Amino acid sequence: MRPSNVPHFPVTLTFRAALLLAALSLFALIGVSTIGVLHAQIPEPAYSESEAQGIDRMIMCPVCPAETIDQAQVQISMQMRQVVREMLAAGSDRDEILDFFVDRYGKDILAAPPKSGANLVAWLAPVVGVAAALAAVFLILRSMTRKEPILGPPRPLQDAGLIPYLQLVDRHLDMTRSSPSPSGTSGQSESTVELSGPEISTDPKENPEENV
Amino acid sequence: MADLGAISLWIALALATYSTIGSVAGKLRMSPALVDSAQSAMYAAGPALLVATLSLVVAFISRDFEIAYVAAHSDLAMPNKFTWVAFYAGNEGSLLYIATVLSIMSAIAIWRAPEKLKDALPYTTAVLMLTLTFFLAVTAVMANPFDKLPFVPIDGEGINPLLTHFGMFFHPPALMAGLIGITVPFAFATGALLSGKTGDEWVDAGRVWGIFSWVLLAAGLLLGSWWAYTILGWGGFWFWDPVENAAFMPWLGITAFVHSIMVQKRRGMFRMWNIVLINVSFGLALYGMFMNRGGSVPSVHSFGSSQLGWIFLMFMAIGVVVPFLIFIWRYPLLKSAQNLDSMLSREAAFLVNNMLLLAIAFVTLWGTVYPLISRLTNDEEITIARPFYDQVNGPLMLALVFLMGVGPLIPWRKAGIASLRKSLLPPITGGLLTVGVLATLGLHKEYALIGFGLSAFVTTGILMEWYRGTRSRHRSSGENYATAFLRLIMANRPRYGGYIVHLSVVMVTLGIVGTSFFSVQKDVVLAPGESVQVEDYELVYLGTQEEFKGNRTEFIATVQVLRDGERLETIRTKRDFYPSFNMAATTAAIRSTPVEDLYIVPSENLPDGSVGFRILVNPLIWWMWVAGPVMLVGTVVALWPQKIRVPAPVPSPRRIATGLRPSAD
Repeated sequence: MRPSNVPHFPVTLTFRAALLLAALSLFALIGVSTIGVLHAQIPEPAYSESEAQGIDRMIMCPVCPAETIDQAQVQISMQMRQVVREMLAAGSDRDEILDFFVDRYGKDILAAPPKSGANLVAWLAPVVGVAAALAAVFLILRSMTRKEPILGPPRPLQDAGLIPYLQLVDRHLDMTRSSPSPSGTSGQSESTVELSGPEISTDPKENPEENV
Repeated sequence: MADLGAISLWIALALATYSTIGSVAGKLRMSPALVDSAQSAMYAAGPALLVATLSLVVAFISRDFEIAYVAAHSDLAMPNKFTWVAFYAGNEGSLLYIATVLSIMSAIAIWRAPEKLKDALPYTTAVLMLTLTFFLAVTAVMANPFDKLPFVPIDGEGINPLLTHFGMFFHPPALMAGLIGITVPFAFATGALLSGKTGDEWVDAGRVWGIFSWVLLAAGLLLGSWWAYTILGWGGFWFWDPVENAAFMPWLGITAFVHSIMVQKRRGMFRMWNIVLINVSFGLALYGMFMNRGGSVPSVHSFGSSQLGWIFLMFMAIGVVVPFLIFIWRYPLLKSAQNLDSMLSREAAFLVNNMLLLAIAFVTLWGTVYPLISRLTNDEEITIARPFYDQVNGPLMLALVFLMGVGPLIPWRKAGIASLRKSLLPPITGGLLTVGVLATLGLHKEYALIGFGLSAFVTTGILMEWYRGTRSRHRSSGENYATAFLRLIMANRPRYGGYIVHLSVVMVTLGIVGTSFFSVQKDVVLAPGESVQVEDYELVYLGTQEEFKGNRTEFIATVQVLRDGERLETIRTKRDFYPSFNMAATTAAIRSTPVEDLYIVPSENLPDGSVGFRILVNPLIWWMWVAGPVMLVGTVVALWPQKIRVPAPVPSPRRIATGLRPSAD
């Protein structure tokens, strides 16, 4: 197994940024062919690859539309993935790495804005919106349950022609079920209604009208 | 061919314009003859557009490079089967496609419309034809696919290589048809409002066409994900890219609508709400089409920066504002026929479901526009991409899955505590048991546990319902279990079709949870003969073949897959380089099983013959693609006409005003 990351160099904190700049320009200069040399060496990374991938997924590729450096397979995003791994190997943590890229490319290099400052609005608006919508739904439902009937008597779930049939089905079910089913048709449970399907289609009173 | 196409395009535009004006004028002046002729004009627009469509197809097949659009999207090397894709590869052709689809849907919708809608049909026709007029005017004037070049090039520029994939034969046409399809239920609703028939007459037609556009959008989204998964070469399937979002939002709106419309169909309630939902969905569909052409946000999908942006924006503004003005005007007529009996009822559950769907749509819209807001107010450039949507929409989607399990188990009107406990006990047990077993097995990611638990919860609930229904049929009628089950489904198709669709949503959930939380990814560079271990798999890279094929170089890498020292398969994965586009298209090698996918894609070919591979193990994603056909089956069941009918309303004296078509009875 040969991961494509470079070996990590023992560096001090002071030299880290300088080293990274150098590394970036180095990669830009030498390009693809370098990797062929580098992958001959087998380094043992001092960080977990999934951690590195997590950071990759937070950083947008600067030249491709709407892709993170984890997704984009262009030169610059490969180099940036490399930088992420180098910094991790050098002991930086996630926030330091993200800050490094923000300093270089601006805040829009991040795949999502930080949850602080003015950008808190981006995160809070959905929360507030959902809470408000929940409250609205609750209030609407409450007001709907309290109103007096508006237009005439309540409508049964099925059309009136079916009622004798449904009562027949009810009697059948009473024989097979231990618990008696409700008496009225309007409060009927769904399962009772479902049983009535295909037989009803033979009802001579059936409306011939087509339904789109 | 160019002339024939252009002429039929203009004829269709004239027909659509006449039909719009004639319908409204005929209705207002009580002139059945005028309404009739306007309707005939609508029926004629479809064939005219089919002629235009065929002309363009013939122009592509004969490689008539004098036509600018043909020259820009095909070349001599292109196999003829890609004509289908090249047709909608650019603005001009895709607009023609949208117009043709709309004209055909309109004709079928009006032709099959139930008798009780007669009064409203002229307005419905007018709305459909006004939309068609807009699309045709834009096509004819600003993006005419039949425009000619001043000279005839020897060869065309060729088709975009990313489009030469099987998924591209279905993803764009399904999505575009779904987006424009929302116009049909919207037109029925608006027709009902304008004619003053604000009751439940339009509900059946609205529901059928709503479900139809729903399934087209869903299929388009799934196929797009599948395409991204197999060809874009990063192992995922969803970007949260602005254009994806633009197609996702109308789907959310129409999903809410097809649920909520059931409440009106069964109970005569939510009349205002359904109008609001279909208006919102139509507005979001227009937004989707706007984003696709000249939207301001960069995307992998955009049809290039086109001049059409502003005109679509204007149409969108009209399409959002006018329907809401009509709604406000007719507001007093939109009273519910019934009251809500209880907060603990299916009606209430549907309303909460609607709220969650709209909340997800709102979050998605917010994420799309917030960067713009930030730029304008803070003067700060920021990006909103996947991490935002994962964190905000993720929990909302889980809540939706939960509701999907609860809703169908709550009866209409009012749920008794005892019956609710009885019907919820099995699914809750199933869900908790799943969580318990998985946690014992060492799975400790909370969100994933919740996701799997909820999936089990929903599935148990559905299977329980099926079992109970089948058993009670079996006992009461003596049918054997298989017959009883089939008859049960056939007896209430909307309901059981819905259950099947819900199962497919559970499958999609499994795929999303599996890949979001348990995907393992590795980037390696391998020289021929080298191997790498990923999870249980050992992969040996055998070598790459290079083949020159006209417009591209194909690098075909052969990789042997072993598990526990046992040879599983030798797979080949391809990377095509197109020098004229300076673009590479990859085709991932995917060894797919219900448990997990092994996904291998070459990301670069190095000069020394070694290859940079991206290798992923994606658990459960198989379920996501299988969900597509399941969803289709469920939709067909739900839409299959059922012979139980609500009696037709007593004819009102006003229907005499028009003589739209011979009476059906």
